[in-house]
Amino acid sequence: MSQSTDLQNRTLTIKKTFDAPVEIVWEAWTQPEHIAQWWAPKGMKVNVVEHDFHVGGKWKYTIPMPDGSEFISDGVYSVIVEPEKIFSSANFRPMTEGVEMQVFFERDGEKTNFTFNCIHATEEYCRQQEKMGFYNGWGTAFERLAAMASALSK
Amino acid sequence: METRRDIFQAIADPTRRAILALVALHAMTPGAIAAQFDSKRQTISKHIQILQECELLTPKQTGREIHYHLNPVKMKEVSDWAEQYRRLWEEKLDSFERYVMELKTKKQKK
Repeated sequence: MSQSTDLQNRTLTIKKTFDAPVEIVWEAWTQPEHIAQWWAPKGMKVNVVEHDFHVGGKWKYTIPMPDGSEFISDGVYSVIVEPEKIFSSANFRPMTEGVEMQVFFERDGEKTNFTFNCIHATEEYCRQQEKMGFYNGWGTAFERLAAMASALSK
Repeated sequence: METRRDIFQAIADPTRRAILALVALHAMTPGAIAAQFDSKRQTISKHIQILQECELLTPKQTGREIHYHLNPVKMKEVSDWAEQYRRLWEEKLDSFERYVMELKTKKQKK
């Protein structure tokens, strides 16, 4: 499997065009008071616990569940170029960890072309998996299995 | 109503994912699987049972021993996990879009 195909298989891409200028889209995506309004699924409340919007800064949002547990999203910003792009590591507990999020904003007059990439697992994990002969296109769900198995068998 | 075991619930558990990773490398007996973990053998048996109920593991009798194999057909269902995320993200981004439009309207009024 070639590297680019591999990356495609691990990447979830969603493209949208918003009928709003890039400044507004950027503001809605990056300001904590706005994030609190759209991040949580309908009817749920999100707590913006941390929001250090700088390269190397940490963000953490929690969504309390009715059963008392929490759905936790957190990560560290790695690239911020206003108003063009934001890259960040991300964990969505308890669903998945070690994801990279890439968000691109492209000015299109009074509209904004928006691209969202969610890349599952790192190159490093995939290399480990390849080494063990495990990675065979089953995809993201088992991205961490091989690493775990090797840790357990030590 | 009887609820069937959910495959995604089955793989939500780290021990069960580790079991699948082991068996993916080669078929194993329950004893050999249990030997890889610090947990009680009973605990591992319970995990194996759940994976078997979801048909992620298939038992095959060889002489007196049972070897567990990974079921590739069932694993295919899991491979669409990224698609599960897609739905979640699409909902989130739809919610974002609604909010952007609200914000735009608010700003225009100012």
